[in-house]
Amino acid sequence: MADVQDIIRERAAALLSSGEVSAVIGWGVGRFDDVRFPLVVKRAEDAGKLVFDASCVQMTAKRLLEHTGDGKVALVARGCESRAVNRFIADHQLTRDQVYVIGVPCPGMVDPATGETLKRCAECQVRNPVVHDELVGDPVPEPKPYRFAEVDRVEAMSREERRAFFDEMYGKCIRCYACRNACPCCTCRECFVEQDKVGWQGKAFNVNEARYYGMIRAFHTGDRCIECGECERACPMGLPLMVIMHQQVRDIDKLFGPYEGGGLTDSGPDPLRTYKTDDIEEFM
Amino acid sequence: MLLKKAKAGALLDAIAAKERLFVPADDRGTSRFVAYGAGVEPRFDLLNTKLPPKDLLFPATETLYRWSRDGADLAIDSAFAETDPFTVFGLRPCDMASVDRLDAVFLTKGYVDEFYQAKREAATFVAATCAHPGRACFCDSIAASPHEAPTADVLLEDAGEEWVVTPQTEKGASAVEAWKPYLEEGDAEPIKAACDLKVDMAAVPEKLKGMFDDPIWSDIGDQCLTCGTCTFVCPTCYCFNIDQDVREDEGKRFRCWDSCMFTDYTAMAGGHNPRASKESRVRQRFMHKLTYFNDRYDMNLCVGCGRCMRDCPAAVDISLIIDRIAASEPAQEKEAMAHA
Amino acid sequence: MPRDNEQTGEFTPKILAFCCNWCTYAGADLAGLNRMNYPADVKVLRVPCSGRVNPQYVLKALQSGCDGVLVCGCHPGDCHYSTGNYYAKRRMMIFKRMVEFAGLSPERFQIRWISGSEAGKFRDTVVEVSEQIRALGPMENDAPSRAAIDAVAGTVASPEADEELFAAAKEAI
Repeated sequence: MADVQDIIRERAAALLSSGEVSAVIGWGVGRFDDVRFPLVVKRAEDAGKLVFDASCVQMTAKRLLEHTGDGKVALVARGCESRAVNRFIADHQLTRDQVYVIGVPCPGMVDPATGETLKRCAECQVRNPVVHDELVGDPVPEPKPYRFAEVDRVEAMSREERRAFFDEMYGKCIRCYACRNACPCCTCRECFVEQDKVGWQGKAFNVNEARYYGMIRAFHTGDRCIECGECERACPMGLPLMVIMHQQVRDIDKLFGPYEGGGLTDSGPDPLRTYKTDDIEEFM
Repeated sequence: MLLKKAKAGALLDAIAAKERLFVPADDRGTSRFVAYGAGVEPRFDLLNTKLPPKDLLFPATETLYRWSRDGADLAIDSAFAETDPFTVFGLRPCDMASVDRLDAVFLTKGYVDEFYQAKREAATFVAATCAHPGRACFCDSIAASPHEAPTADVLLEDAGEEWVVTPQTEKGASAVEAWKPYLEEGDAEPIKAACDLKVDMAAVPEKLKGMFDDPIWSDIGDQCLTCGTCTFVCPTCYCFNIDQDVREDEGKRFRCWDSCMFTDYTAMAGGHNPRASKESRVRQRFMHKLTYFNDRYDMNLCVGCGRCMRDCPAAVDISLIIDRIAASEPAQEKEAMAHA
Repeated sequence: MPRDNEQTGEFTPKILAFCCNWCTYAGADLAGLNRMNYPADVKVLRVPCSGRVNPQYVLKALQSGCDGVLVCGCHPGDCHYSTGNYYAKRRMMIFKRMVEFAGLSPERFQIRWISGSEAGKFRDTVVEVSEQIRALGPMENDAPSRAAIDAVAGTVASPEADEELFAAAKEAI
């Protein structure tokens, strides 16, 4: 990956000096050797601050939306970031010509704290970018590992145990909204949580309010989820937020499939924004 | 006097028999201060806990008053209640220093928050020093020290196998009286650790006054998600909102933690929002932590516990921000916009 | 929230039924015209179309004192707005599965297609759903038992959540 990092730096510097892009989004190194953070480089001379290695745990794409006002923006994009780009285009948050995608095939990231493959990478279905303006590095194998093991585990529980599982999860939620802010599907200018006059979401910190927030956000994003797992990775409390997302993706595939998740192309419609007149009938 | 770590359980049982006792422990995968009881294994080997002990004095949600209506009759009842005494055993010097900050906010400058005061007066704080500060700890260059906690009621100095027990207040002295059966005579050499990570705060509060328009805020804004993680794991963040829960003829008004990082933190009636940009909100956060609070209370609001650094999903690092501010050149004379 | 009948002391469920104006509401009207009997447990909320029903209302209702929620509309193919109920169908299928995955008793959230002439079906649906919810009890009954809580405790959050703290603790020992 050292070569990939060098090429990224060269390309970033070139794109910035030529003026083709106003910023390049990638990762920088924090205070400690194993800490990376999303870095937006705006000057060619800063391109050397960009890194690419197995510690780049954040999915950075969301920051595209804050910088496209100044012209085209480049994004160092693995499979997850590339799906996020498609997500933004499909959701009319960006047009294709506003982003220059530096595609990077990704073998998976490692959690610096444990030395293990990051959970979202262990479940990753798309390691090679699905959209790119250039590709840096060789394509990597796509093992498409089984990602529904946790869903199976929870589905096998009794109703009460499932309720207890989610009570425990939502009981631990501190409603920091890191999941929402990190999620490429969550681009509403006014989130339902902020619709104070309507009053969907109370402000008290308890399991019922957390459940309302968590389940509604999960449903709002369910048919658009790109399964990047950034919500779960960002969560400071280690909540298994992807269980309820994978569960929806699998149901959509079973009922309205074939469906492999969102962001694989940049056009809709997403499964719940369309219908077939012969959709399965179970409500008669 | 010494308290052998291996025998601490018996002391904790004795304290818990008389009043509520809170110890650092694992709560289903999250470390926090939990009520000691059967099945609770205190974890004095942890660094500070993921969630700070501030919720013991300043709960995340707290009912202020209730009302109910029966026809034309309206009853309003304060939800304030005196708090039974409780002990917080094993908080770190950084967290003890955070209590000092919360005391300044809730008890001084002419307004006493009775809800906070009731809990504060009921609390006995037993602080334990840190023998092995973590890599993100920098208390001793900003607010505290790994090996002392001057405002704690009782100080436990880590000496390896045991703590050296020193009451530091009257409340602490009477607490330790009751501990005698569990303590031993003797001396031990307390471990006087220091933090590896150091920051230079000396000029930071003053320099920040000239940095309102500095590009640093835009850089942090690029990185930050403006979620509330840092504010909720921070032991000194104290912003709260007030909301109500209304059900037909009854309801309650409560306060709950809020976060200056949230988009709607400064949303106003009429739709105006002076801090709509991420940049303005991150600026507010660090200005508050590192200079505005100093103006009012003469101390740094950040205590160097490192929690925000560890838990930030975007790896925003307050110690690096302090470094950058400390290294910045004073701005050219330009009008800094008025700020509190 | 006490919902017991003042006279009989029996639990009286609160069931909120979103009924589309053109079909189900008309069917409910017809049931009334025909003097059909059915329990008063169901409160009807008229909406222009089943496609208008935001799942947020469903969860809000269940968390605010309702013991059950019904969403009823025209038969697919007969929607007054042509396509509204097709969207509702897909949406509610996924939402229902999601909330049941998260531990909601399946009978508490049901969707039915009831046309303007199906007064009998409206009556039968209300009778059936009321009976099911009476048997289940108030929404509070959905809460897990101590045994279920213990079975699941500690298996939820990823153990790595606090890894750095625990790792440092291991070093320190």
